[in-house]
Amino acid sequence: MPSGFRRLAPYLFVGPAVLSVAIFLYGPLFASALLSVLDWNLLSAEVRFVGVDNYSAILDNVDFRTAAWNTVLYCVILIPAQIILPLLLAVMIHAVRRSPVQGLYRGSLFLPTILAYSVAGVAWSWLLNPVNGLFNEIFGFFGFPKSRWHTDPDLALLCVCLVTFWKTFGLNMLLWLAALANLPHELREASQLDGAGPRRHFFTISLPLMTPTAFFISVTTLFHVLDDIVGVIDVLTHGGPAGRSSSLLYFLWQQGLQFFQFGPASAVAVIIIVVVLVVTWLEFRVGEKRVHYG
Amino acid sequence: MVEMSRRKFMAAVAASAGAGMVASPARSADAAVEVSSPWGSDKPFQKVVDAFNAKKLGVTVTNRFDGDYEAAVAKAVASTAAGRPPAMMITGWKFGYFAKRTLGARDLREIDAGRAAAILANFRPSVLPLVTIDGALIGLPWAMSTPITFINGKLWEEAGLDPALPENPDTTWLYDNARKLDAKLKDKHSTYRSALALSNNEWTSQSFVQNAGGYIIDPDGRLALNSPQAVAGMTEYCAPAHEGLWLPVSAKDQDAAFESGALAICTTSSTRAATFPFGGAKAVTAKFPGLAGHPRGMNSGGNFLAVYARNKEQAEASLAFLEFCASKEGQSIWSAVGYLNTSVHDIPLINDFMKPAAGQLADGLTAETIWPGKRGLEGQAIWRKWVSRMLLKEVSVADGMKSAHQELDALVSA
Repeated sequence: MPSGFRRLAPYLFVGPAVLSVAIFLYGPLFASALLSVLDWNLLSAEVRFVGVDNYSAILDNVDFRTAAWNTVLYCVILIPAQIILPLLLAVMIHAVRRSPVQGLYRGSLFLPTILAYSVAGVAWSWLLNPVNGLFNEIFGFFGFPKSRWHTDPDLALLCVCLVTFWKTFGLNMLLWLAALANLPHELREASQLDGAGPRRHFFTISLPLMTPTAFFISVTTLFHVLDDIVGVIDVLTHGGPAGRSSSLLYFLWQQGLQFFQFGPASAVAVIIIVVVLVVTWLEFRVGEKRVHYG
Repeated sequence: MVEMSRRKFMAAVAASAGAGMVASPARSADAAVEVSSPWGSDKPFQKVVDAFNAKKLGVTVTNRFDGDYEAAVAKAVASTAAGRPPAMMITGWKFGYFAKRTLGARDLREIDAGRAAAILANFRPSVLPLVTIDGALIGLPWAMSTPITFINGKLWEEAGLDPALPENPDTTWLYDNARKLDAKLKDKHSTYRSALALSNNEWTSQSFVQNAGGYIIDPDGRLALNSPQAVAGMTEYCAPAHEGLWLPVSAKDQDAAFESGALAICTTSSTRAATFPFGGAKAVTAKFPGLAGHPRGMNSGGNFLAVYARNKEQAEASLAFLEFCASKEGQSIWSAVGYLNTSVHDIPLINDFMKPAAGQLADGLTAETIWPGKRGLEGQAIWRKWVSRMLLKEVSVADGMKSAHQELDALVSA
């Protein structure tokens, strides 16, 4: 092999990957940070440096504050739900791992995850339609008062949570199932011989051994929740009624791609990046110490 | 085997190529025009494009489905920033200022004044102000619809209501009949669930404001939401929701409820006249309700077909397509979609259910609100938010209109 090629080879092999990360990850990050301090519509020759004006305008915007508060609520409701309920389901499915119905349970519970948001949105809007949706028909049949569901300002956010959870819990359930399947069988037998019941075995042996998975799920669920609610909001409520189900990412999408306000949209993007970085750093700082890597 | 010299072979090739050029226009030399549109290949717009291309006028038009108005505009921003603006785009009316001031929609008269005048002569003079932005004629008034009233014929009959609908219904008549229908059918009918829906959006609420003699933005360009007329219009609009006759839901939910026979009356886009009367609801149509004692002032919505091409050849080729679109042939193909006939051509209505919409067009229609200002595109969302809050009784109508006025005033003047 010629020595010149040998010297260049590492760069040639690594180059495409580094380049794609630079172009598609750091490039947009840098561009967002830059756009957030500019008043520019991307088309005009007129570009004005506005400093922190876009940030102060966004922080003054009542719809941004509503979206930020809603995002906190979404995280408070969905992150624990997306971690704990899939774990419970995974434990139940794992308990019937030798039964032929295990595959059926796993497949049917995972099915919503692979559905398109548009399909899920249409299906749920039929179920939740306040005029003649299935849920209200059932309520009516049993004599309960009908609900306005996603068109009720007090319920819209919860409806988005419900649909988001239904649509996305399957991935975490599969991760938990994989972690459960990988637990050493000998430890189960040993604990049984020592007289440990199923609950004690789960909390003192299984769960500590699954902490790497738990840590991974806790970190990625934050990103997924922030991301997944946007699809549901878009097809179910459009952020309404009166902004009551909006979220930060949906607000960002509206500013950028509905109102074409690239400066304020970029300011929101930078705020989201900073918040996610800080939360992720805290998760690593607090959570990683508790992870048992075997 | 027949022997052929190189010279004979070349001559034969040249002759056949020449004959081909005479027989049909060279497609490869056609000017290519791509139209960014919200309609796919299964829609009548594609038929307009196909009919134009079949004429082989030296311009080949391609219909590119780009999603809804927002998605199409986002793609146009990206391609314009990259130096390749779309040659033509079907642009929602609400984007009027954005199309002209930001995307640089071309003034048709600036491309070719004579041809532009000839094209626009095919349209009713009353609709031309809708495509005139900052004094520039930025496109054809292409798709136009107006909200009208759809009534479930079967439910109406079962409630024993008079089948003779007034030519110019008002809210007093509509709300009274909705109350009677509700009293008759509520909890006694297998499909009926709700009497009325006026469409929870900025469009029909604007109609109410105008029917009460008010404006969202007055003819002088000033925001006018805090006028007594605007408040009166919105009070009448919100009344059935506050009374429980109307359960405001999304357009999608409203359509589904109406088509399934759960909703008796709804006011929505006249384009539904192509479907609602032929579905389970067996809908009959009437004009949008006016307000008793006030002259009607209905509005419209839709889009315009604009030219964005910067180079001369493409811009002129775009005019060739616009000429076809404006012709009787083009308009006849297009009318199948159920939009209003904005042209001067005598084109029969697609069905009698369109008559109220045609009547409203004859009465005169304003455009949907085109919010001015650098942040104008936010206007629709903010107005819609306040409409929702007033319907939900989160604020009184008077306070809601005052707050909407304040928030929108800051936005429009930004």
